[in-house]
Parts: sequence; structure tokens; C-alpha cells
Amino acid sequence: MMDSITYISASSFIGAAMAMGLGAIGAALGLGYAAGRADESMSYRPEMSGQLLKNMLIGQAITETAAIFALVIAIILLFAEPASTSVLASWSAIGAGLSIGLSAIGSGVGAGLPAGAACVGMARQPDNKGKIFTTMLIGSAICQTPVIFGMVISFLLLFMDLSDIPLYPGWAAILGAGLATGLATIGSGIGNGLTSMEAVRGIARNPDTSSDTSRVMLIGMSVGQSTAIYGFLVSLLLVFTGLEPSTTLASSLKLIGAGLSSGFGGIGPGIGLGIVSAYAVKWVARRPEATGTLTRTMLVGMAVTESTAIYGLIVALLLVVVF
Amino acid sequence: MDEFTHIPQLTLQLFGFNLVFNTETITMTWVVMGILIVFGFLATRKISFIPNPFQMVGELLVKAFYDLTRDALDEEMVKKYFPVICSLFMFVLLCNWIGAIPKLGEPTKDLNTPLSLGIMGFFIAHYSGIKTKGFKKYAAGYCEPIFFMAPLNIIGELAKVISISFRLYGNIVGGAIIIVVVSHLIYGLILPPVLVFFFGIFVGGIQAFVFTMLTLVYISLQVK
Repeated sequence: MMDSITYISASSFIGAAMAMGLGAIGAALGLGYAAGRADESMSYRPEMSGQLLKNMLIGQAITETAAIFALVIAIILLFAEPASTSVLASWSAIGAGLSIGLSAIGSGVGAGLPAGAACVGMARQPDNKGKIFTTMLIGSAICQTPVIFGMVISFLLLFMDLSDIPLYPGWAAILGAGLATGLATIGSGIGNGLTSMEAVRGIARNPDTSSDTSRVMLIGMSVGQSTAIYGFLVSLLLVFTGLEPSTTLASSLKLIGAGLSSGFGGIGPGIGLGIVSAYAVKWVARRPEATGTLTRTMLVGMAVTESTAIYGLIVALLLVVVF
Repeated sequence: MDEFTHIPQLTLQLFGFNLVFNTETITMTWVVMGILIVFGFLATRKISFIPNPFQMVGELLVKAFYDLTRDALDEEMVKKYFPVICSLFMFVLLCNWIGAIPKLGEPTKDLNTPLSLGIMGFFIAHYSGIKTKGFKKYAAGYCEPIFFMAPLNIIGELAKVISISFRLYGNIVGGAIIIVVVSHLIYGLILPPVLVFFFGIFVGGIQAFVFTMLTLVYISLQVK
């Protein structure tokens, strides 16, 4: 028979392993893409290789942020004292690990894409280095928003007051909260990366349009984060809704189901929204006089693309509130 | 980590209802509004051809946002909606930036602030849609592309309010959490200020701009 302290430290190890293991996936892909593109760009313009290397390293440093967030959570799980000694704290360790680990995947992949595109753009248009660099910085910084949502949920699960939550079905609510934000942020991280990559490319091709292009990029990327926000909303709802103590299996599993529904439901629409705004940004950079029409069509198209994420959100809300 | 779990609140009993005031949020909102009023006074008090620094900043802001509003709306509607858009931006921006000063908390860190601003934008957009197109054409817009899609279109409109307000809230609260955690882990002089600059000033500025632009394009989607 194990006591709750043993359970908590055991599951902290599992949570830390999941946080760092899953969190390493995306950032490594993004770093590799940036490095590969930097190589390609040096073959166009070998005499600029010093500057391109510097740009690659700065882009990679931002790309790595997602993995560093995962590392911070893993270290906290390994070394910090748990906030409470109830058995629920062991579930919140696993939930926190899942939330930050999964959400680091999307942002890691996404932030690498503008970094790679910036290297190629600089090699082709060395005169526009400044604008390309600024767009890359803004683009990769906004790509980190999904992982910040994952990090908020991780900290919430680790440090919140667990004494009001009944063990059954509280364990499922905590696990579901981790899964909802973790999974839902994967898609919008990658989608944001696609959008900012096209923005960097467009500004490299036609720097006169940089203000229009970066404005449409900002709008597109922030609407593309909607799916991550729905997952975040379901997580907050799962954690803060007043749970009735109940030991039946259905009352627990419906909360995990809510997390899975909004989480998996967010992956596809997140990438789809990124594709919509990537094309809009690409053509704003080529035809800035059509910015108004392109932005409106982009927003209407995104509203339709988003509808499947809203189905996932509705099922999750039904599972939490109605059943 | 008490900073995040504890919210200073004041509860009043009135006619059997509990009125709850988040004292820190209300105080900080008034501080932000006070700074904006003082700024507006200083910028417009002595308008001259050679501007003073406050007039200079004000002119730059007004010019930039006037152009952005003109891109999104028709010429006669710009004059009507531009003051809302520009003051919304200044308010959200200052709300996000004020957390960079030690001991002061961002009002946008409390979900109530972004949510009420989002609901305000929602009502402005739909009111202007009804006013310019007429109620019949406005209501017909929900039956696109076919009438039984109406419930989904309504949910989609409500989802916009959720996404616009939670985006601001999540970014600001996430930045605040990261700053506090890093400051707890390392008592450094360099890293926490850098993080304050990045999450407070840079992300805060971008999110204020995004919030304003989305409110503007939601209005323009309704009126066109």
C-alpha cells in the first residue's frame, strides 16, 4: 500500500518525462527546418554566410522557446515541493506535463517556419534585411502564444488549491484540462507558422507592402489561434466548474471526453485556418490594392473552416454542463 | 505563487444579492483612465504648429489609426467609428503596459476586463450592422448559405466574443505568470527585466493592436 506522497512523486516523474519528451518533438523539427533553409540560402549567396548564420541562430533561439518552457515545467515537477499532499496532486502533475508537452509541439514547428523563410529571403533580397528580420521576430513571437496557453494551464494545475475538488471525478477533470489545451494548441501553432512564413516570403519579395502584409498577418494569426482558445476555455471550465462527488465511471470519463473532443477537434481546424491566412497574406503581398477584399474573404473563409472546431467545443460543453 | 490564486475582492450585501468587486482591477482601471485623461489634456491643451511632445505622440496615434479605419470602412463611417477604435487601442495598450511598473497589475489580467471589452465590440458591430443594412437584411445574413445553418452562424458570432477576449486574457496572464515564476527561480537583474520587456511591452503592444483591429474588422464585416 503506497501513501499519497509516493504517488505524487511517482507521477511527477512521469509528468516531467512527458513534458520534456513531447515538448522536444516540435522544436526540434522547427530548428531543423530553419537550419536546412539557412544552408540553402548560403548556397545562393556564400558571401553573406556570416549574416545568414546570425539570423539562423536568432530564429532558432526563438524557436527553442517552446522547448524551454517544457523544460521549466519539467524542472519544477522534478524539484519543487508539491502544492498539496492529496492524491489529486499526482493527477495534476500528469495533466501539467501533458498540457505543456503537447502544446510545445505546434509552437515549436510553427516558429521554425518563418525563421527558415527569413534566411532564404535575406539571401535573395539583401537590401530588405531589416524588414525581413522584424517580420520574422514578430511572426515567431506570436507563434509562441499557443504554448503560452499550455503553460498557463500547467501552472494552474500545479499550483491551484485542490482542496475543494472531490477526488472522483476531480482526477478526470484535471487530466481532461491538460489534454484539452495541450491537443488544441498543436494545430494553431503549426497554422500560425504557415501564415508567418508566407508573410516573411511576401515581404522579401515586395518590401513596399510590408505594412499591409504584416497587418493581415497579425489578424490571420490571431484568428488562427481561436481553436487553441477553445481548448483553453474548456480547460478553465473543467478546472473551475463545481464538481459533484461521484464514483461512477461515466461521471469521470465524460470529463476526459470533453478534453479529448475539444483537443482533437482543434488540431485540424488550427492548421486549416493557418492555410487560409497563409494564402491571404501571400496575395496581399503581391496585390496590396486588393487588401480589403482579401481580408474580408479570409475572415469569412476562416469562420467556415473554424466550424468543425466549434462542433468539438459544443460536444465538450455538452459533456461538461449538460450530462 | 499566492499572486495568482488570491484575488483581492470586496463583497457587498445589497437587497439579498452579493455584489463582488475585484478591487485591484477597478483601481488599476481608474489609474489607466486617469493617465489617459491627463495625456489627452496635455496633448490638446496648447495645439500649435510646432507641437509639444504630447501633441506629437497624439498626432502620430490619431493619424495611424485614422488611416487604418479608413482602409476598413467607408468614408462617412470613418468619422463615426474612428474615436472608438483609437480610444480602445489606447486603453488596452496602457492596460497591458502598466504591469511593467513594479507593484502595479494589468487590469487585463482579470478576465472581466477583456470580456467586457469584447462584449462591447460585439454590440457595436451588430448595432451598426442593423443600422446600416436594416433589420431584415441583417437577419437574412444569418441564413447564409442556407436557412438551417442559422443556429451555427449564431454560435459562430458568439464564439468570436470568446476568442477575442480569451486571446488577450491568456497572453497577458501567461506573460505575468512566466515573469513571476522566473523571478522566483532566479534572483537575477537581467533576465526578469528582459522578460518584462518581451511579454509586457512587446506582446502587450501586439495584443492591443490585434484586439483593436479585430474589433474593427468585425464591424466592417457587419456593415459591408
